[in-house]
Amino acid sequence: MGLTEFGHFALISAFVLSLIQSAVPLYGAARQDMQLMLIGPAAALSAAIASLIAFGALVTAFIRSDFSVALVANHSHSAKPLIYKISGTWGNHEGSLLLWILILMIYGAVLALSGRGMPTHLKARILAVQGMISSGFLAFSLFTSNPFARLADAPMDGKGLNPILQDPGLAIHPPMLYLGYVGLSIAFAFAVAGLISGDVDRLWAKWMRPWIMAAWCALTLGIALGSWWAYYELGWGGWWFWDPVENASLMPWLAATAMLHSAIVVEKRGQLKSWTVLLAILAFSLSLVGTFIVRSGLLTSVHSFASDPARGVFILGILLVAVGVPLLLYAWRGPRLMTIADFNLKSREGALIANNMLLVVATAIVLLGTFYPLGLEMITGARITVGPPYFDATFNPVMGVLTVIMVLGPVMAWRRGATPRIKTTILAAAVAAAISGIVGIALVNDMAIGALAAVMLIGWLAAGIGADIWAQLRPSPQFSLAARWQRLPRDVLGMWIAHFGIVVFLLGATGDGLFRSEQVVRAKPGDVIEIAGREVTLLRVFERQGPNFQALTAELEYRDAASGRFIARLMPEKRVYTAERQTTTEAAIRPRPGGDDYAVLGDGDDRIGYSLRLYYKPLISWIWGGTALMALGGLVAMTGRQRQSAPNNSDVKTTADVKAMARGRA
Amino acid sequence: MSRFRPSFFIPLIAFLGLAIIGGMALQSTLSGNRNPSQLPSVLIGKAAPDVALPLLQDRQAELALGNFQGQPLLVNFFASWCAPCRAEAPALEQLSEQITIIGIAYKDRRSDTTEFLQQYGNPFTAIGMDIDGRAGIAWGVYGVPETYLIDTAGRIQWRHAGPLTRDVITTQLLPQMAEMQ
Repeated sequence: MGLTEFGHFALISAFVLSLIQSAVPLYGAARQDMQLMLIGPAAALSAAIASLIAFGALVTAFIRSDFSVALVANHSHSAKPLIYKISGTWGNHEGSLLLWILILMIYGAVLALSGRGMPTHLKARILAVQGMISSGFLAFSLFTSNPFARLADAPMDGKGLNPILQDPGLAIHPPMLYLGYVGLSIAFAFAVAGLISGDVDRLWAKWMRPWIMAAWCALTLGIALGSWWAYYELGWGGWWFWDPVENASLMPWLAATAMLHSAIVVEKRGQLKSWTVLLAILAFSLSLVGTFIVRSGLLTSVHSFASDPARGVFILGILLVAVGVPLLLYAWRGPRLMTIADFNLKSREGALIANNMLLVVATAIVLLGTFYPLGLEMITGARITVGPPYFDATFNPVMGVLTVIMVLGPVMAWRRGATPRIKTTILAAAVAAAISGIVGIALVNDMAIGALAAVMLIGWLAAGIGADIWAQLRPSPQFSLAARWQRLPRDVLGMWIAHFGIVVFLLGATGDGLFRSEQVVRAKPGDVIEIAGREVTLLRVFERQGPNFQALTAELEYRDAASGRFIARLMPEKRVYTAERQTTTEAAIRPRPGGDDYAVLGDGDDRIGYSLRLYYKPLISWIWGGTALMALGGLVAMTGRQRQSAPNNSDVKTTADVKAMARGRA
Repeated sequence: MSRFRPSFFIPLIAFLGLAIIGGMALQSTLSGNRNPSQLPSVLIGKAAPDVALPLLQDRQAELALGNFQGQPLLVNFFASWCAPCRAEAPALEQLSEQITIIGIAYKDRRSDTTEFLQQYGNPFTAIGMDIDGRAGIAWGVYGVPETYLIDTAGRIQWRHAGPLTRDVITTQLLPQMAEMQ
């Protein structure tokens, strides 16, 4: 038996184990049978090991270039560098599905192993829901997209991988994105388990929050990596295109961000329970849509490298069950989770509710913009595209209001509104907003209203966070700075970092949007182009041979226009990948904190000249720096929780105890 | 505390609505009525643009599509610098036995085009030189290779962006040609 067949066998075992995992613990929890409930963690662990073996077998087949495996023959090539042989494993539908399953299994295993104090019945139900999801996807993989299918005659060499995917950014982007998408399945499982048992309480939220945070961090980084990849690889100079596939990753992120905040209200105040449950279902449903929208061939996108409508039927079936059933459960059991609303709008929970409303509206805007063309086409037959103008006019203002609230929420107290800090914070933020607005108007001619708002918001948010930090860390007669730092809850620190990440992100987005320069020219060797205070000379254009491609390379020399000082030499390329007969543009980028020089080589020859696109993009790398800070903030908040998490109920084990506790809290 | 609340059904109903639209779209994609990656051309059914182009062999003479009126034509935009054009050369060679093919060398040099044709074969009845890409703009060319099918009345019936693969020829082009006859 070959390793490939062994991998196939392991995948079948994982499927059987997942079926057990989805049924037995659920039955055990209903019967309050400890033995049956404990089968959940055991099955989850074994299924994770089995899928790890399956994935390992597939990666090995790619590394060895075993072209008797159909997937390897279709998507790999012996001349490819090792790292792209490995990343080629998930550069196709079957392999990426297997990676998706593996990550799901690992999450299940980590849940099974961790959460020692977690109520057994809660864990059993969560693992059962996880098992149902993995059974569905394992069935999808085994019955429609078997990665281990063999070929009767193995070809001499593979067909290769889409050259645009041969890139280090893309080797790590899908795993990171999947880590986020799949991580949301845990929150989803919490929600469904809560709906089944009816026990959605503060304890439930306490256990759920780190998982939301972990998934959110991964999703944030995954989206940022995707955007960064599009920026340097596609050669269009942009970083976000409102493309259906990008939107598909943004929607679960928005829903997860809302859930991240609403779960705090559940944990601290025991409110917003049914809302948080709904968000958890929504976030994971959207991530399912996000993962599979690309493969069903329903929407066109620059990112749809592999699509097959025949698989869409299975995907739609999975979606119907995975989303429809929990929503039905929600319609039936959700009303039980309602609490009597007794909150003041001017309180922290009030601000968090506003945050949630805005984020859900933003999600709806993106959803509408993404699916409206499809709906219209189905009804009227007209084909339209919805582009940046729609999103600029709708999405941006909503996020702007959200940024305003971001300053107010943290300085308000639970239940009652005003704290002594609130007035000074608002004052500081308002003054900073006014100053940055005036500076902006003075610096930029004819500033658009949206740009002015963005500039003022940056000042507002930065000063608001600063004022909050000062208020909380300021040395006082009783406490020194060090003492205050010691007492500072880690999740507050995490929040500051994440919110400050938004400031940095906005700086990058606004800097690029307001001050970028662009030159599209046809140049011959020796020509000089001027852009953003630089003199760019096209020195020469030559052909060169890469490992598996032929390239046309331009050599550009950047000099300071005023002083003539040498700045850099950029070499943008056009590559033709011989095995795939595909052309890609390799933009040359010189990234600096102040701004990026970005050059793209187009068509042409020495006689008529070459088309060149040159950009100067101020502050653009701050976009990704800001998103990295957001993820870092999430990580800080998440890891800090263990240190200070010592609620008196960590030794709770039995269902009865938890039920009693829940009643006590309700 | 359990109550029936109509508002809790809203998410389910909204989801089912979306699922129905998705299902319909999938159905029409599967049945072949809809191809999301097919680029619609506004010129379908309209007269082919007549941009005067110098011929490859003779700078003085001009390529006029009007001279070919009365017979179906295949107009192929290609270039020597385009790798997929080499790939589709054998397919064009075969097609030239069934239909007159006009080549338009897009943003190319005469010497390069001539060399390209010597190397990969010349299936074209006439070749126009679109050196500055003006004809490409008039035709709405996305990139080379790109192929247009013109009917006997000089109207564009079909367009394909990208190389003519066996699949495209058998499932789209040949049926279109049969339909015109």
